[in-house]
Amino acid sequence: MSTQTSVFHSSTVALLFAGLGLGGAWYGASIVMPSLASRHGAGIDSMLSYLLVTTGILFVAGYCALAWFIWTGARRRRIDQRLTRRRTEWLVSGALGLAVGLIAEGGVLAIGMPVWSEYFDATPPADAVTVEITAQQFLWNVRYPGADGQFGRNSAAAMDDVSNPLGLDRADPAGRDDVVTQNVMAVPLGRAVRLRLRSKDVIHSFFLPNFRVKQDIVPGMTPEVVFFPTREGSFEIACSELCGLAHYRMRGFFDVLSPAAFDRWLAEQATPTAGGPR
Amino acid sequence: MSHAATTVPGHDQSHPELGFIRRYVFSLDHKVIGIQYIVTGLLMALVGAALATLIRLQLGWPERTWPLLAQLLPKGYAGGVMAPEFYLAVVTMHGTIMVFFFMSYVLVSGFGNYLVPLQVGARDMAFPLANMLSFWIGALSALLMIASFFVEGGAAAAGWTAYPPLSAVATAVPGSGMGQTIWLLSMAFFIASFTLSGLNIVATVFSVRAPGMSMWRMPLTVWSYFIASILGLLAFPALTAAAVMLLFDRHAGTSFFLPAGLVVGGRHLTNSGGSPLLWQHLFWFLGHPEVYVLILPALGIACDIIPAFTRKPIFGYRLSVWCLVAVGALSMVVWGHHMFVSGMSPFTGEYFSIATMTITLPMTVFGVNMLASLRGGAIRMGVPMMFSCAVLALFGSGGLGGLYLGNATADMQLTDTYFVVGHFHMMIGGVTLMATFGGLHYWFPKMFGRMMNETIGKAHFWLTFTPFFIIFFMQHFLGIQGAPRRYYAFTAYDFLRETRIQNLVVSSCAMVLIASQSLFVVNFVWSLFRGAPAADNPWEATTLEWTTSSPPPHDNFGQAELTVHRWPYEYGVESGDRDFADQRVPPGRVPVTA
Amino acid sequence: MQLALEPELSRREETVRLGLWMFLATVAMLFAAFASAYLVRRGGSDWMRINLPPVLWLNTALLVAGSGALEAAHAVGARRRWLSASAACGVALALGVGFLLGQLVAWEQLLSAGVDMPESPHSSFFYMLTGAHALHVVAALGVMLWTGLLTWTGAGRRQPRRWAAAMHSTRTIWHFLLGVWLFVFALISLY
Ligand code: HEM
Ligand SMILES: [Cu+2]
Ligand SMILES: [Cu+2]
Repeated sequence: MSTQTSVFHSSTVALLFAGLGLGGAWYGASIVMPSLASRHGAGIDSMLSYLLVTTGILFVAGYCALAWFIWTGARRRRIDQRLTRRRTEWLVSGALGLAVGLIAEGGVLAIGMPVWSEYFDATPPADAVTVEITAQQFLWNVRYPGADGQFGRNSAAAMDDVSNPLGLDRADPAGRDDVVTQNVMAVPLGRAVRLRLRSKDVIHSFFLPNFRVKQDIVPGMTPEVVFFPTREGSFEIACSELCGLAHYRMRGFFDVLSPAAFDRWLAEQATPTAGGPR
Repeated sequence: MSHAATTVPGHDQSHPELGFIRRYVFSLDHKVIGIQYIVTGLLMALVGAALATLIRLQLGWPERTWPLLAQLLPKGYAGGVMAPEFYLAVVTMHGTIMVFFFMSYVLVSGFGNYLVPLQVGARDMAFPLANMLSFWIGALSALLMIASFFVEGGAAAAGWTAYPPLSAVATAVPGSGMGQTIWLLSMAFFIASFTLSGLNIVATVFSVRAPGMSMWRMPLTVWSYFIASILGLLAFPALTAAAVMLLFDRHAGTSFFLPAGLVVGGRHLTNSGGSPLLWQHLFWFLGHPEVYVLILPALGIACDIIPAFTRKPIFGYRLSVWCLVAVGALSMVVWGHHMFVSGMSPFTGEYFSIATMTITLPMTVFGVNMLASLRGGAIRMGVPMMFSCAVLALFGSGGLGGLYLGNATADMQLTDTYFVVGHFHMMIGGVTLMATFGGLHYWFPKMFGRMMNETIGKAHFWLTFTPFFIIFFMQHFLGIQGAPRRYYAFTAYDFLRETRIQNLVVSSCAMVLIASQSLFVVNFVWSLFRGAPAADNPWEATTLEWTTSSPPPHDNFGQAELTVHRWPYEYGVESGDRDFADQRVPPGRVPVTA
Repeated sequence: MQLALEPELSRREETVRLGLWMFLATVAMLFAAFASAYLVRRGGSDWMRINLPPVLWLNTALLVAGSGALEAAHAVGARRRWLSASAACGVALALGVGFLLGQLVAWEQLLSAGVDMPESPHSSFFYMLTGAHALHVVAALGVMLWTGLLTWTGAGRRQPRRWAAAMHSTRTIWHFLLGVWLFVFALISLY
């Protein structure tokens, strides 16, 4: 019988599975996420930690069980017990299935949902810094409402990539003090950040890896995100939805500054020629 | 719906002897059509693998120039550097070809055509003519897809998910010119072809079964094809509708998916009011069931291979069938888990998260049943068994990855990163690939009357599964480190600097994986002509295809009357000098145990 | 002698019926997908109703009459009055072609009123849905033509079962497409 393969061969296959299971867990345990810099992000990280631990255990246990069954099975000449009673089958698989189902569903309901609603239901505090981000191939237009707290009118019809990328209505007094930059933005530590996201052309996705913020920007919609930075520093903005040729380098900078430094920065940007790339 | 018909089913359509063309090219025989599908799919896999090579060369060594490639592909590699637009076209076509033209063709239409009639004891498919049409429409759609590389602007470049506006506006990316139009037409043909073969499989299972073959005596392979085909039939029309609407948006000026006020590359578009999210809903209404259309047959195949190599019945047969049914039903109502951060309402997100998590229950039960089937067996580690164990292993790790992604809170960080890429390659890439190799080794003797070489097969297993696992396991963790998918290079960001070495490892493993497929090609071709002649039932298996000759005659079972007396997993019984009883063995000879 | 209207089906005939119904189910899913897109798109701010040409009512009547003619063809065929059956098939065919021409007239009227496909989402859906339905009707007319020829050439006399099966498929398809049309018509005119 050509299938009568050697015990040695089967054992190596068993060891392969065990090795991949244990090696995978070892590699996985050595990986760190981008350093955390937002309040709700701690919730997301604990969600991920919960999953890493529970699924890590299931993963190693499963691979070792597979290896064990192969290892012992290869040494058996006659099968052990042919059929299991149907009730036992339902009990064993059902119990394991329920256990994993509970781990999964429990994670969603007990850990995930509170974080999810904290993030989405947050009414922005009155002192939140509001910033409008308008994505286009392949840069981020950033706009601050200025001292009056009001964004000036703009329209798609007036948009012009060279002279007026945001299509601002220069006659609107509310827009006079708007501060416009490209690819660079800053926020003060200690206040919530409220981002209004728009896109001019295709779908982009605003991704702040360190803040655990990711929001697709579908043109025609104006999603908002609200979050609370927890430390000063200079961070990167990435695009995480395929938007064209330079998707991979649609990079922006997100600086969290002390309140004083932020005011200084904003004043610097507010020169009449603001809007050029950094 | 089962019939106790007295005639041999399908006998009224036995075909007379035919010439070469009618026999091998425009054949009505489900076995020939199945093999045609398998060969077409394997050829497409070579194209897909070549594209994967280009992807991994670029990501592993982003700063290198490739003079040789510049000569072979002067447009894509001007100056030896891969053009970003070519990279995107390559990624898009790799995904499309692997999902639709490799896996669907080999696993669903190929094995499905070959195995389903044989395993239910039919003489042919229910509608042989529709079956032949299905293959030729399918071949046309594959050719069309390949041809799109050569049109102005190159192949489609908006990803296999083709989200508008990127895919709708010709100037948004070069591939969104003619290439995207051809992509959409080719998908429409693909769906037509799948519909014809899906109808056939469902009708065959429903009403052309041999006497005695009740639903509860069908092998899990047949069950999985049955459910996968129903799923496909119900889900695929959504993509047809979406493709039609996208074509109108592209060429007739309508605004199904295009909102007002778009300014693409400085040009103002005149569309108004359309909804890009609508495309995503329609696409994923197809897309999510589609992944189950592919994975269910892979699981079914592994479940039928395993008992032949453990020599004991599968664990929890009926329970597994119910799991297939439950997974099929649930998979129609969870598509929104691909859109957690799309801007869809967060409440909808919560619903989809909870619904998705319920799928883990039947999926886990199914996996546990497979694992428990190994326990206590007298295992012979033949090549099909090695690949079936790999199916089980990848199904486990891919499923655990699903727990992260189905959880909306975790998915917020992981969506559109390499975690997703790792997850779906384990599943739609790995489970299916391992089942394909396992199934080819297992049924090759039946298809061609010769055995495949065991030694090459074993080497091929080691050099395929090991790098495969490393590549896609590591990609999960690239995603945890934040690496977004569909990036031409990871060089532009500081936070991705740490991933350089890991990408190098992934790319190196990918080169080993791809190169070692030559072992399979050699084994396949060599065995076709020089393989050891195969017995009718080389694996001592119980299902009906093993009761006929290798390869089977034109009408599958010759003149023999075929009556089924038992379930498909009668292993470990006393039957003369054998330890199994095939499904025809009457209860008088060997007691029926399930 | 009268042919039993629902003779005991052979296994083959049952398989064909099953396959046909599954195919129609995929067609139903196609129109369901269009309809759900319609419902979503209906919420857009730019939705502007177009005036549907009244000829659509006439076309609807033609389609209903076609169904009736097919039923008549079936009934007289079952009583082996092949000449009348052929005539009824001819009438059904004519009504079907009339429906298609009527739909063309509706397009023509809209176009000459300046309402083309991109004009408004409503008109986009109107052209797309009527077009998709009309393509299915064209295919159904092919099937009907085949059945009509079978009837006319006397196949019904020689192979009554074959005739009955063809007739059954034709009626199923035609009534189904009538149902689809009523659904589409209601959708675009009421919502
Ligand atoms: C436990 C079961 C599973 C769960 C909970 C699950 C969950 C998910 C989720 C939530 C996503 C979306 C991730 C994102 O884009 O953010 C996803 C992506 C995907 N899954 Fe699964 N999945 C499961 C099983 C499978 C299976 C069995 C297959 C295929 C055979 C599969 C194939 C895919 C594919 C192809 C994608 C990516 C599509 C794309 O964006 O290109 N998944 N999965
Ligand atoms: Cu992007
Ligand atoms: Cu999914």
